[in-house]
Amino acid sequence: MLIKDIKRGETVLEARGITKRFPGVLANDQIDFEIKVGEIHAILGENGAGKTTLMKILFGQYQPDEGEILIAGKPVKFRSPLDAIDQGIGMVHQNRKLVSAHTVIENIILGHPHAGKILNLKKAEAEIDELCGKYGFKVDLNAKVWQLSEGEKQVVEILKALYRGAEVLILDEPTSALAPVETEKLIASVEAMAKNDLAIVPFITHKLPIVLAISHRVTVLRRGKVVSCTKTEHATERSLAMEMVGREVIFRIERTKVERGKTILQVENLSAFSDKGFLALKDVSFSIREGEIFGIAGISGNGQQELVENLAGLRQAQSGKVFLDGKEITHASSLERWRLGMGYIPSDRNEVGSIAEFSLVENTCMNYYFDDDFYQRGTLDYKKLKELTEEIISEYNVMTPSADIKAKSLSGGNLQKLILARVLSRNPRLVIADLPTQGLDVGATEFVRNKLIEAKKNKAGVLLISEDLDEVLELSDWVAPIYEGKIMAILPGEAAKREVVGGMMAGIDLEGEKK
Amino acid sequence: MRIGSHALKLEKRFTLTGWQAVMSSILAIFIALALFSIIFLIAGINPLFAYQEIFSYAFANPFGSPLTINRFIFLLLCTYAFIIPYRAGLWNIGMTGQLYAGAMGVFAIVVAFGGREFNATLSPGLLIPLMLISSLIAGALLGSIAGYMKGRFNVNEIVVTMMLNFITFWLVSFLIKEGGPFMRSGGEGDGFELPSSIFAPMIIGVPFTIFIALGLALLLYYMFAKTRIGYQIRAYGLKPAAARYAGISTVMIPLLVFMMGGALAGLAGYHYFAAVPGLYKIPVNYGYFGDLAFYGIICGLISLGNPLMAIPVTLLFGGLSVGGRFVQGKLHMSYGVDYALLGVLMITLVAFQFFYRYKILWVKTKKESLDVGIPG
Repeated sequence: MLIKDIKRGETVLEARGITKRFPGVLANDQIDFEIKVGEIHAILGENGAGKTTLMKILFGQYQPDEGEILIAGKPVKFRSPLDAIDQGIGMVHQNRKLVSAHTVIENIILGHPHAGKILNLKKAEAEIDELCGKYGFKVDLNAKVWQLSEGEKQVVEILKALYRGAEVLILDEPTSALAPVETEKLIASVEAMAKNDLAIVPFITHKLPIVLAISHRVTVLRRGKVVSCTKTEHATERSLAMEMVGREVIFRIERTKVERGKTILQVENLSAFSDKGFLALKDVSFSIREGEIFGIAGISGNGQQELVENLAGLRQAQSGKVFLDGKEITHASSLERWRLGMGYIPSDRNEVGSIAEFSLVENTCMNYYFDDDFYQRGTLDYKKLKELTEEIISEYNVMTPSADIKAKSLSGGNLQKLILARVLSRNPRLVIADLPTQGLDVGATEFVRNKLIEAKKNKAGVLLISEDLDEVLELSDWVAPIYEGKIMAILPGEAAKREVVGGMMAGIDLEGEKK
Repeated sequence: MRIGSHALKLEKRFTLTGWQAVMSSILAIFIALALFSIIFLIAGINPLFAYQEIFSYAFANPFGSPLTINRFIFLLLCTYAFIIPYRAGLWNIGMTGQLYAGAMGVFAIVVAFGGREFNATLSPGLLIPLMLISSLIAGALLGSIAGYMKGRFNVNEIVVTMMLNFITFWLVSFLIKEGGPFMRSGGEGDGFELPSSIFAPMIIGVPFTIFIALGLALLLYYMFAKTRIGYQIRAYGLKPAAARYAGISTVMIPLLVFMMGGALAGLAGYHYFAAVPGLYKIPVNYGYFGDLAFYGIICGLISLGNPLMAIPVTLLFGGLSVGGRFVQGKLHMSYGVDYALLGVLMITLVAFQFFYRYKILWVKTKKESLDVGIPG
């Protein structure tokens, strides 16, 4: 190993002039990056800024077209991740790559050269225990992986990399799946690892506070280029966001008052079963008028999914009634609801909201194929659909070389923009936005929120479902915390207090009693 | 792989033009023929001579060519029966059963109009269209069982279509056996023969069904590419959850594609048992045609669900199965040479689809590239 000889504070890994091209895209453009022993050097950038490409190059999954990687000052060439691992680079993936039916220890030694033929679990256990002690990780080595929480799984991935001899650790979106408590633990462990002379490179899309909390230095990427590389103490959330997006980002959105009109959606005593067969939505009633955003705040799994699916016509109501513009639609099919002016933006944009193998035009068609304006002499008017898609792309600033490429080549933020644009372009009466900004970077989030406000100004009613309490409080005219399938209260947006709504999301009502 | 200062490099393809797909398939065919030469060499036969015999019998012989064409029409219809559900992400393994259902539909019409009676006078202008329609309906009805079960109860369509194959097989067996309603007078195990007045019209020596089969290729291509229903089928096929979100009925699509697929397999039943000269009956070895129908699956997969591409693929398979059987007899080779040839061809064609996703590049490597930076 090379890294052992390097003293604290010296450069261990360096990338010089890394350039990587894909057909039609310059993913990395002359990127310089370095990390010292004992340093936490975060890489920050929006979706599509070239973070993933750089990460894959550092880990040997891609080979750069130009530029070189140096370890301890010597140039190296990675032909596969195996070369990178042998050189002491470890990677913790965002999508866990563990065998869930195996124990923690079995997962850690999987692929380790020492575990080649005969398993010496005892010896491995002692060694892993020592690692845990050194960095303050707590995890039951003999538990099966499926029994672990997301945070514990991540610890297993980190241990796996460390046990394999990693001295430079790449963390992909380390906090995206973690609960707040787990995030704090992770930050503590990362700091302990840095103290013990490891070099750590977290890649982060959003969650700027995390960057400020854990890193020593931050490199910001935008459109494949390094925009800045600063010491964290000189950075602020605002300055980082500006560098990422390339312009000023407004963190607080002004609540716009719009004249409220007729009732659009009316829900009366609605109940629905979940897929598992229990009553997930219990006796919910509310109404939304023209020019209103009705925000439902709650932690996932408290009946939001069932409510949204029911309103979209994808899940039967157990009891209760739903009216759209005064017309009862309780038993209407999904297609009828689209025709009546419902516009649904699903939370799962990859599996539900879009079709990866379809072109952008065909994806736009998902909300237009039934529309007679796009139907001519027995065929779909693909020419008109293409014009519409191109309009959407330019109006919503979707980054794509053309409207004919497949949707799978769009980044998450751009895909969400396309879905949003497609739904809103129908001028729906009712917009159902289920977790519309989940996983989006700062710029795209701001964009989506502004579009929802625009819809409200255009006299639509908006039902917003979000886990992000701040988002609900900022955007909504009405705030309805949901807990275990019940709406706890319907509070006017201006008057709703953060603590009160947050408590209700956890099942504590105004008097502070746990229900 | 490195050879001197050059290297072979594997690179992912991002786009595939139709021309590249065609070239890859043609290359695959040549490789398959080269591989199969080994069999001929082992048998002490000059492969070039054998292939010349196969191809000239299949495509340029007054006896072989009509056989090839009949088989081509049959395979093409069976391939459509696979392709239509395949585009909706569903697997039709039941073209065999649907073909039998179609045949039963055809002969039931003839029986209903008294065609079994001696010296029956029947009007072909009325009866032939009726027989065609009946074959379509019977195939569609059988297909609809699997489609409905899939759409309504999410029952695996492969299992249902497969089981229906057995049911219809024995149903046909019951109909044509001695004492059965479709029995041939005098027994012998065949079904009764159609009266010559309702033999299918031939156009330049070819059953008229060829025009239906070729026309369908255009029609289906157009349906998938342009129409509303084609869009819905493709959307459902790629991502059912997304299709459902868009308001596409997840009950109607499986039902519809299996009805369409079943109808065309039923038409294949009409073609072979009521339009191919010399047959005009359900023969006792009808199970052979059922086995042949399974080639629709492989032809559908090779043509990647594209009805136009199905035409050359089925023509090749039809020809090789006819020609292969011929040389087996002529050159005194062991039984099954024709099937072995088709098998090798299938495997190579499918394996070569690798090049739809990757390409091999011949690049010049830089001198310094590989010997730096891997110190122990």
